[in-house]
Amino acid sequence: MTRPFSGRKDGLSLSEALPDRSLFMLVAMMGFLAALALAGASGARALSARWSGGAAQLLTIQVPEADTPLSTPNGTSTTRVQAVLADLASLPDGAQVHRLTPPELARLLEPWLGETDNTALPLPAIIRVRLPPDTSVPDTLEQTLNAHVPGTIVEHNARWGERLRALANSLLACAGLALLSVGGIATMITGLATRTGLATRKDIIKTLHGLGASDSYIAGRFAWRTATLGFGGGLSGTLAACVPLLLLLQMAAPFASAPLATTERLLPVDWQALANTIPPDMALALALLPFVAAFICWFTTQVMVRLWLLRLP
Amino acid sequence: MIHLDNVSWRRGKKDSAPVLAHLSFMVPQGGFRWLLGPSGAGKSSLLSLLHIENLPTDGQMTILGKTVAQEEKRAALVRLRQRIGMVHQDYQLMPDLSVADNVALPLRLQNRPEDEIQDEVHAILKWVGLGSRTDVPANRLSGGEQQRTAIARAIIHRPGLILADEPTNALEESQSCRLLDMFAELSAMGTTVVVATHNESLVRRLERPFLFLEHGRLVDDGGEQP
Ligand SMILES: Nc1ncnc2c1ncn2[C@@H]1O[C@H](COP(=O)(O)OP(=O)(O)OP(=O)(O)O)[C@@H](O)[C@H]1O
Ligand SMILES: [Mg+2]
Repeated sequence: MTRPFSGRKDGLSLSEALPDRSLFMLVAMMGFLAALALAGASGARALSARWSGGAAQLLTIQVPEADTPLSTPNGTSTTRVQAVLADLASLPDGAQVHRLTPPELARLLEPWLGETDNTALPLPAIIRVRLPPDTSVPDTLEQTLNAHVPGTIVEHNARWGERLRALANSLLACAGLALLSVGGIATMITGLATRTGLATRKDIIKTLHGLGASDSYIAGRFAWRTATLGFGGGLSGTLAACVPLLLLLQMAAPFASAPLATTERLLPVDWQALANTIPPDMALALALLPFVAAFICWFTTQVMVRLWLLRLP
Repeated sequence: MIHLDNVSWRRGKKDSAPVLAHLSFMVPQGGFRWLLGPSGAGKSSLLSLLHIENLPTDGQMTILGKTVAQEEKRAALVRLRQRIGMVHQDYQLMPDLSVADNVALPLRLQNRPEDEIQDEVHAILKWVGLGSRTDVPANRLSGGEQQRTAIARAIIHRPGLILADEPTNALEESQSCRLLDMFAELSAMGTTVVVATHNESLVRRLERPFLFLEHGRLVDDGGEQP
């Protein structure tokens, strides 16, 4: 069996009819854009997942003058923070309530206050509450706490989480639209290149058809040509996009709570370590990109050539 | 076997005058027909129709025992075309390909093994006198060499039907005679042959029935009624 569609001398000379440069370069640019859009989509998805998951279930409660005694109706004496903690016991099962210890508090405030001895400062008590998944804070929590312990502040991360998640979702939608547009443009470019190739090889194709070449043979020859160009272009574009992507990843690392948060330096120290932080779904999408580009080119050309051949019986 | 029953063919629009009108004739398998007629009568058009480069606008056409119609499956027409050898008036060679690659095309399109192809190509090129020109690109050949290449390409796959459009107009007398002898031999072995020509001395050398066209109509159908 002869090798299919490669090195076959049938007169189509597709390397001349479908010149490398234009289609290759345009697909490379499309591949570049697609890679960036994919990265954006992947990032937006990760952030959205983070905010709809862990971050949204966090609650921060500040109790000023924490250790001041609080007089209760039944006469027992507790401090204000103890009263708040007692109230928090009524939260849904599985809620983790944790009062930050003085060292934890010091670390939290270090950027603002420096490494001084803060014991003299009248710091509020900070209580971190992590709710189990699929539960929500009772709407009345802040009122209840304030009624018992005036001045208590409840900060619910979910409010921010909702907004950020909506933002992340619209970013995701934008990235999807960008990918669709890039795919559409790639299809059109391939269509135009194929049409040019068909026009310059019209007589040759008619002769081949007369000699008994099937539609799938002729369409396959053209489609392999554009698919090869598309694969090369997609690969080049993806590789070219990797440099800005790694830089972006480096800058985004602190926000995504990745371990290598070296914000002082723009250029990463360790490219290898940085490459390892690429999310697996993004890496997979990037690796598939050249194949998707090749498929778009192959499919478009198949359809175009077969439609064109219908003019011959 | 060729069988045409009231076949007409128009180029393009429905209301244009037909290039071929109401043709009815039949050529049995192994039959030989001259296709004669003045220039512009429609000889090349009829050969294109028999080669299924076009489909009849009206009427019934049967080629090699298979009815050819608009609604026929494309794959079936492809297989049918592979059983026909055609020498076009303008040769229709692939200009960039060598003589050998041009002649190998029908076999390559049928996915024949490459070593078998090489043998067949060399044998047939030797026969048409191009044994020393196998590697020359077709666009650097003389008219006669191109015509012999086209003839070799039309017969290399041993088609059941050979259609030749003025196959000798660029050939020397002796080459024409050899070609004619071969056509007669192939016909005797069961290949149907139709040869369009203006060359009267050639027609006189091989006395066979003829189809005579004038203004796209058949004036003489070669004697065999469908
Ligand atoms: N490409 C074309 N476009 C329009 N009309 C054409 C075309 N080719 C041929 N014709 C017309 O079709 C008719 C039949 O032409 P055809 O080539 O079949 O004649 P022919 O018998 O082969 O002539 P010749 O002996 O000169 O080769 C002629 O009237 C010719 O003018
Ligand atoms: Mg003619």
